[in-house]
Amino acid sequence: MPVSALQAVSKSRNGVGAFILQCKRMEFNFCDWAGSSKGMRHDRSFLKHSLPQFAKENPQIEIIVAPRPNKIPIIRGVYINGREKVIAVDGLEIQQILQKAQLLRDSSGAKLKRITKPVISLNESVRGMFSPFHGEKHVI
Amino acid sequence: MLLLRTTQRSVLRPQVIQIYSFLKSTSSTTPRFSIPILSRTIVTSPHLRISSIPAETPTPISPPSEAPPTVQSDPAPTAHNSLSLLTALNAQPSKYIMVKIQGFTFLVTTGDKVVLPFLLKDVRVGDTLRLTHATTLGSRDYTMKGNPYIDERLFECRATIIEETAEPLRKKEKKKRRTRRTKTVKSKHRYSVLIIKELVINDVPPALATAAGSSTPR
Repeated sequence: MPVSALQAVSKSRNGVGAFILQCKRMEFNFCDWAGSSKGMRHDRSFLKHSLPQFAKENPQIEIIVAPRPNKIPIIRGVYINGREKVIAVDGLEIQQILQKAQLLRDSSGAKLKRITKPVISLNESVRGMFSPFHGEKHVI
Repeated sequence: MLLLRTTQRSVLRPQVIQIYSFLKSTSSTTPRFSIPILSRTIVTSPHLRISSIPAETPTPISPPSEAPPTVQSDPAPTAHNSLSLLTALNAQPSKYIMVKIQGFTFLVTTGDKVVLPFLLKDVRVGDTLRLTHATTLGSRDYTMKGNPYIDERLFECRATIIEETAEPLRKKEKKKRRTRRTKTVKSKHRYSVLIIKELVINDVPPALATAAGSSTPR
């Protein structure tokens, strides 16, 4: 009898073996003229002050800094699942912009979903399905 | 003598007989190292004889309060018994653990994603945590219950923080009758997501095993 391979699809479990940060790229866009970009672009501001440190702490993320004239300043996070998350940082100060950058870094890119059950498992149940014919004998 | 070689994968599921090999001690004696383990032995056919219990009729389960007298009178065999049960638990292919994280209990196996209903402080995404508070450790036929927790030297359960997300923004409108004023309350709770990396049951060192056998009254 010929032996055939089992059809099996590998299940992704990021973090079980190695952990890969889901955020792969972050783009920082600002406007050179508009006032809402002040937190981003001025001296003692985010781009000069906080961004180098942030980039050094997260070498896995590709960081792009580009002017985007006549538009509000944004941070765009691109993720491994192909999705993008854009956060507007207009009018924010350095610390607030850094918080938004950290939020994007810590996210997985998945759409926000309301979770009712905490444990999400791909494994079969350990103790098996209930059977009324097996187990503790009910004494009447 | 427990029958552990009788796990035969037949179409008809084998009859399961409950046996309590419970080392749970009374309040008077507290052993330094306890292995409270419960086993559900399996027989392939009803004709197979088991030396400890009658083969045909399963014995009614004795309540746990009757267990301590057997422990105090004959400590060494029961310690050995529970050690062999622990080895049997370890030998089974899949195991589960009920861990407590900040008071919340989660029943997990290896590879499960746990969305905590809160944000873990002082940790970063990518960190590995060792979960130490476990109430129950079990497999298909064996269960070990802690009192209230299992000794953390017996197992290693590690989890990685993979994400810090939030729920979608939800708004609650609050309005009283015959009043036009409406108050809106916004909620967007933040959550940490863990994934269980490993669940390993450690071998009990022989020194601790003998200590478990000779329970010293405190």
